[in-house]
Amino acid sequence: MTVQVEINEALGREYEAGFISDIESETFEPGLDESVIERISKMKNEPEWMLEWRLGAFREWLKMEEPDWALVDYPKIDFQAIAYYSAPKSMKDKPKSLDEVDPELIRTYEKLGIPLIEQQMLAGIAVDAVFDSVSVVTTFREKLYEAGVIFCPISEAIVEYPELVKKYLGSVVGRKDNYYSALNCAVFTDGSFVYIPKGVRCPMELSTYFRINEQNTGQFERTLIIADEGSHVSYLEGCTAPQRDENQLHAAVVELIAMDNAEIKYSTVQNWYPGDENGKGGIYNFVTKRGICHTSAKISWTQVETGSAVTWKYPSCILKGDNSVGEFYSVALTRGRQQADTGTKMIHIGKNTKSTIITKGISAGRSNNSYRGLVKMMASADGARNFTECDSLLIGDKCGAHTFPYIESRNPSAIVEHEATTSKVSDEQLFLCRQRGLDPEKAVSMIVNGFCKEVFKELPMEFAVEASKLLEISLEGSVG
Amino acid sequence: MSEWLESAISRGHQIDDWLAPKRTQAIDLLSTTPWPTRKTEAWRYTSLRAVQNSKAHEIETKTNLLPEHITNLSAIELVFVNGKLDKQQLPDVLPKGLSISLGSDLNKEQQSQALANFSDIKPKRHLFGLVNDALAQDVVIVNVEDGFNIKQPLRISSLLSLGAESHTRVQVTLGKESHLAVIEDVQAEGDSLCTAFVEYQVSAKAHLEHYRFALQTGSNVAVGGCHFNLLDHSSMHSTIVAFGSDLSRLDTDIIHSGEFVDAKLNAIYLLDGNELFDLHATVEHAMPNGTTEENVRCIVAGRSKAVFNGRIHIHRDAQKTLAELNNRNLLMTNTAEINTKPELEIYADDVRCAHGATSAQVDKQALYYLQTRGIDRAKASVMLNFGFINELIDLMPNTVLSEWIRPIIRNRFSAMEVK
Repeated sequence: MTVQVEINEALGREYEAGFISDIESETFEPGLDESVIERISKMKNEPEWMLEWRLGAFREWLKMEEPDWALVDYPKIDFQAIAYYSAPKSMKDKPKSLDEVDPELIRTYEKLGIPLIEQQMLAGIAVDAVFDSVSVVTTFREKLYEAGVIFCPISEAIVEYPELVKKYLGSVVGRKDNYYSALNCAVFTDGSFVYIPKGVRCPMELSTYFRINEQNTGQFERTLIIADEGSHVSYLEGCTAPQRDENQLHAAVVELIAMDNAEIKYSTVQNWYPGDENGKGGIYNFVTKRGICHTSAKISWTQVETGSAVTWKYPSCILKGDNSVGEFYSVALTRGRQQADTGTKMIHIGKNTKSTIITKGISAGRSNNSYRGLVKMMASADGARNFTECDSLLIGDKCGAHTFPYIESRNPSAIVEHEATTSKVSDEQLFLCRQRGLDPEKAVSMIVNGFCKEVFKELPMEFAVEASKLLEISLEGSVG
Repeated sequence: MSEWLESAISRGHQIDDWLAPKRTQAIDLLSTTPWPTRKTEAWRYTSLRAVQNSKAHEIETKTNLLPEHITNLSAIELVFVNGKLDKQQLPDVLPKGLSISLGSDLNKEQQSQALANFSDIKPKRHLFGLVNDALAQDVVIVNVEDGFNIKQPLRISSLLSLGAESHTRVQVTLGKESHLAVIEDVQAEGDSLCTAFVEYQVSAKAHLEHYRFALQTGSNVAVGGCHFNLLDHSSMHSTIVAFGSDLSRLDTDIIHSGEFVDAKLNAIYLLDGNELFDLHATVEHAMPNGTTEENVRCIVAGRSKAVFNGRIHIHRDAQKTLAELNNRNLLMTNTAEINTKPELEIYADDVRCAHGATSAQVDKQALYYLQTRGIDRAKASVMLNFGFINELIDLMPNTVLSEWIRPIIRNRFSAMEVK
């Protein structure tokens, strides 16, 4: 059997996380107008200023047009056909411990292999798990409390810490920023809020698992992480969603604020349902992630993107303070009919700011995978430095790999370097592996893992294992 | 729609000649093409204000305009004066195998053939390409017969007097296994506006050597295009040298329509003052086994602005393609700007493609090294800058041209506003 045939056979693999949890949910009727936003705000017991903020965003959104510059193709979204709120019913009275949580929920996580109970203890991870739109379980709160770290659902933060939320919400991704972020500002239902006080090194890695579970429900998470002066935090975000026939919209906003000398490491493994082999179903992932670095601060984005039917995502850094550092490490794997248009923006404003961009795109099947990035050196960015490396790997002759880097420099002492290559898995490498008795799939998996090594080594230990496994599973179906 | 475009459309309507069917087509498309703004990807960094504000208009041909003399160059001169072909400057006898004719002088049959080829290579929706379709005074048709190697280069010069507007159009066809060198240049006295488009059909096993010198500076607007269609086993080598002006934009399209095509493109631009130069270079690999090598080097000083968009598109069938793009930029002042976007769009798996782009200033250590040897800083900077682009000048196949351009570039450096 040829390599290609074996590979094609493997293509029929089903989505591992594809099942539907049977939990009663309280869900709004589909549709979006100001009254829906008022209801969301009321459900969340939000203060008046928050409702006004949401309504302001909604009014802006109505004036905006859906962007069409990305190299993705999908049917027009009917925003009136989406239900904007869904909460697991059993969550009405918030559980105080895991024992109070609907066992069906726990089983859902177990099926996904998420280490919610034992493994999180072993791994020392505090999990703020979002099931549909409401945070279900928050653990290790006390330990974090001791360190002075705030890690809670953003809905809670709006009520408990209004002065912090008011000061920082929308400060990096404004309400008018873009079409999807404006929508998120108007209708976000939950997400995570993190505040690390001055000089504190967060005692554990913070982690949130998101799930989309309710049919026809868009997810609009909002994450706000503030690392005060000299603090340090590592945040892990992982996604997986059950199999579904209708496209689901996911428009999240993540804002990071790294004050002077602070460091934020944000890692994502994204495995939303990618749709079936004909491109039916699957998640639309339109995400705005951006961080601002003050003096000598550092923000590092690492992402492993294997899911979603359509991905539109550009985690960015505004390097405002002198000597600040931005990093972006990404592995994006597309197969089937997936379309990914992802990359980053590094805006250098401060002196001696540095940024590194390493991306690995792998396209298989009939998918399209694009890197789109911007490196901008402002006239003030004396001595700034950027290095960008974008490598693409093509597997099969029906897919596409694209690179769209924008470089804008206005400072002579700033140095920008960009390089990109595109190739296929070389026959020599494959032959060498097969000579040593490896089957073709294993060989390709090994080669691809090697190709992505530079990015994987940036992931926290727990995530690196998961990412590697995810890649291997994804490759089972599509490599040749 | 801008006033300028409206006026161009209405002028296009008034021209009734053998190109009428193509003009009507172009006008129809123009009427539905929105005027580019900063949100239009192809014009993201280049403002069209200079076009809108242009007072240039059609001027009756002055006969005393002559192209600048290039020392030691013996070329066949094809001269446009304010958009009109100056037949008197054409040589009486052309080399064997080469023919040059004006579309309006052809017989009906030849004209319908020329019409069929008109705008066949140029991308359909290029705004100024359509303006040129609508307003070109005529089409000059250049043909090289199969198997002929034309030793003398063909020089196509477009000369513009003060305040003149011109729209020139040339169609060049190289027959099988033929060879031709073409030099395109524009010389303008100021306040001018020109669109200059040339389409090249390069038949199997033919070789085209191509140069475009856009050395007009100051208050001139120049928007043009060179579009190449390459058939099996053909090859081309193109060199572009450009200084900026109020608005200077060039679109090149290299289309690999046959297998085993080899294309090379080297571009140099040196900008100063408030100048702008925008190069959009597209390479379409539509067939297998093609190779492309692109080198673009750019030095910007003063408050000038350089724009480069280098797109390599590998189609599904273009297996075994090798394509490389290298873009290096030197930024001399913090009031100048470099905007570069090297794109790869790849749909075939068995290919090797790479691009690299850098932006920086002259290496300080190298500068210091020269200073320690008694060379003053300004001079050292010129030397290093010159070295940066001299590599590409050395690659020009025609040494007469490289010897001619070198001192021009050197003078340009000496005058550049460098901090």
